[in-house]
Amino acid sequence: MDAQDRENLKELIERFFEAGQAESCGEDFRKAEQILREYPAPEPDDMLIANIKADIAMRLGSRRATRLRRLLCDAAGVAAAIVILATVSMELFVASNRQRGGSVYTASIIPTAVWESDDIAADDADLAVFTAEIEQIEHEVLTLQAGEEAGESESTLTELEMELAELNSDFWKG
Amino acid sequence: MAQGDDLARIIIGCKNGDSRCFSQVVDMYASRCYGYFYRLTGNGDVSDELLSELFVKLVEKIGSYKGGSFESWLFKIASNLFHDHLRGKQRRKRLIEVQQEQIESEIAEPKRSDDEQVDKLQMRLKRLDPDTRELIMLRFYSQLSFKEIARVRSEPIGTTLAKTHRGLKKLRQLMEG
Repeated sequence: MDAQDRENLKELIERFFEAGQAESCGEDFRKAEQILREYPAPEPDDMLIANIKADIAMRLGSRRATRLRRLLCDAAGVAAAIVILATVSMELFVASNRQRGGSVYTASIIPTAVWESDDIAADDADLAVFTAEIEQIEHEVLTLQAGEEAGESESTLTELEMELAELNSDFWKG
Repeated sequence: MAQGDDLARIIIGCKNGDSRCFSQVVDMYASRCYGYFYRLTGNGDVSDELLSELFVKLVEKIGSYKGGSFESWLFKIASNLFHDHLRGKQRRKRLIEVQQEQIESEIAEPKRSDDEQVDKLQMRLKRLDPDTRELIMLRFYSQLSFKEIARVRSEPIGTTLAKTHRGLKKLRQLMEG
């Protein structure tokens, strides 16, 4: 059922025409449309219809190909963008690391006096003395920890700490 | 004629680029659209051209169809094509400065007379003003309601109804006279 069938023409005419006019108006519509039906327009040629269908199929085919090409171009564009982004990110990362590496400060833990000294024999003797003193202190600390010495442990510890401080000072002085 | 659900399915197929669905639309509407163009131009070759253009436009514009009356949408495109054709004629007329009557006869004079009855109606139709002629043909071939025709023409429904009545009454008098 088309829109005209659903439309109530009589009601519509009565809405816009006076009661007297409405009837003749309706009659004009009916008669004129009857005339139009009696004089049908020619039908389109079968060849024309076939050509139209072929043209549509061709257009749809080329449109599909265009869409595929566009899709490939888009994908290539995205891939290129990702590669460029990755390259730029890598460059930035490397540059940033290089910059951070330049700001690292280093220093020797060996005292300058010992490092710069050319008197190897004297340095060796000093090292031997320091080593012996460290070993002795280590031994005393172990004895204290074991509780073998019955003396005043507090004063002994203080003495040891003082010895350690002195030794440390001597060592760094070279 | 396809029912609402069938038509909706066909249109979805068209939107998906299915050529078979487009072929179905061509089968459903080619006759009515051709009749519309033929009665307005009175020329078989021009009607062939306009019908082909209409379906090309259909393929191009089907994505913009957002529902509602498909006939209304299709005949709006057909009407625009006809007006473009008239404007083209007018431009050509100005360019080559041929006589007004010659152009008018080219628009309204039937070149392909299939039988005597077709010629008679066509001859009477050209006595109507172009706007009324188009309105009557739109009503007859699109099978749209007056409400839909008024929407297509962007005018109040009362105006559409009154113009159609005047035109049909005159046509009736011309044919019976």
